[in-house]
Amino acid sequence: MKDNAWLAALTGELRRHGVGPDLTGHVVAEAATHLAESGESPLRVFGPPEVYARAVADSLGGPDVRPPRRHPGPVRLAARGITKRYRGQTVLDRIDLTVRAGQIAAVVGANGAGKSTFLRICAGLLSPDAGTVQVHGALGYCPQDGGTAEFLDPDEHFVLIGAGRGLGRATARRAGRAGAAALDWTPPRTQARHLSGGTRQKLNLVLARLGEPDVLLLDEPYQGFDRGTYLDFWHEVWRWRDAGKAIVVVTHLLNQLDRVDIVLDLTASQERTA
Amino acid sequence: MTRILVVAESALRELLRRRTVLIILLLFPLAFYLSRRGDHLGQSIRFVCLGLGWALSTAALFAGSAARGMEPRLRLSGYRSMHLVLGRLLALWAVGALLCAPYFVLILVDQHDVRYGAIALIMVLTVAVAVPFGLLLSAVLPRELEGTLVLLTVVGLQMVMDPASTATRALPFWFSREIGTYAVDHTDSGYLTRGLTQGLVFAVALTLLVVAAAAVRLRQRRHLRIA
Repeated sequence: MKDNAWLAALTGELRRHGVGPDLTGHVVAEAATHLAESGESPLRVFGPPEVYARAVADSLGGPDVRPPRRHPGPVRLAARGITKRYRGQTVLDRIDLTVRAGQIAAVVGANGAGKSTFLRICAGLLSPDAGTVQVHGALGYCPQDGGTAEFLDPDEHFVLIGAGRGLGRATARRAGRAGAAALDWTPPRTQARHLSGGTRQKLNLVLARLGEPDVLLLDEPYQGFDRGTYLDFWHEVWRWRDAGKAIVVVTHLLNQLDRVDIVLDLTASQERTA
Repeated sequence: MTRILVVAESALRELLRRRTVLIILLLFPLAFYLSRRGDHLGQSIRFVCLGLGWALSTAALFAGSAARGMEPRLRLSGYRSMHLVLGRLLALWAVGALLCAPYFVLILVDQHDVRYGAIALIMVLTVAVAVPFGLLLSAVLPRELEGTLVLLTVVGLQMVMDPASTATRALPFWFSREIGTYAVDHTDSGYLTRGLTQGLVFAVALTLLVVAAAAVRLRQRRHLRIA
């Protein structure tokens, strides 16, 4: 493994182990200096990047779980009194949600609790029986499935979505590839129908982010992700929050809820209406 | 304009990458042509034009259905429904023109003593009508099978009904038989005028209906206000 590839892998692994960006930069810089001076192979000196990163994280006493200092900005999404009925059964009953710039809201609930329905209503893809949604800024939406064109490759998707956002071809491709790199993915020149489920979801997620929308609605976007990509995904979400985006994530995985700002539990809503 | 062209380019790429579909599309009208080539040359022209219309409508129906999953996302990404419809229409019209070209050459080579200009006009109108017709079916009938059955019924009726009866004028490809008679049998220009009028009316009406259907389906819902 060459030095640069090893250092890049180390950066990703440190991030996955919860090591903060400052410390990651410091560790990587030290390792790079050592490798340059010694001229030795990184695998011989430090071992595989994942093993070295784990050792660094362990020496720090576990992942950095301190929430960064944040000051939520203006309201970006305000859903008021959202009610939806299907065949006489109330799925959503007067649901309210306010998300400000720099906040993450997790929408949780059992299967059939109406999580995706709520998100589709927030995106304006579905009409509620009652209630309103106000969005301040541009919307980005990542559906649970679908949302890609079978016969187009990732670059062509970037150009297509980018044109809608007013981006030129080269800019859209660059932005798409940068978004993909953050998920440790290099988009191939392969049509979407040949991509695996997890890779297609990466494409879906990158498309939602294209053009830097102010509000991101993500409907279980990590389906099919492996563990590393799943961790990369959450780190990206936190980074977007720190950049002032308002993010709503539908999830049924509760282990990340301590790192979000708002939790909307739709199971409680259903129990209330039962 | 850029958005329309990007949608058209993407739609064209998607279509051109379905190679098997393209081959069937190309050969389908040939089967119609050859079916009457032996006994009645003029009839083979009428049949090939109907075959072109059927093939193109089917292609448009399936392209429209395939795009349904992606369109809401495109709408949220800044496209208007008009961009999406016009882009797709442009792509399919281009495919239609490419599809008709070899058949026009075939008729030029194989058929004599016919009005070639009128035949070209039938093909132009066929492309103009068939594409929005297929897209409209995909908009109204979201399941492909239902749309295909309706298409089959319409084209079947078009082939078996007496073109002289008033009811057949309500069918989208009636102009093809009418102008075909003018082109093959050298009848008076009344056939041409009636056919041209019916074809133009259907092309414009179907295109407007496709635009309207997309505007309704992809409208911004009333509960959502984007500031």
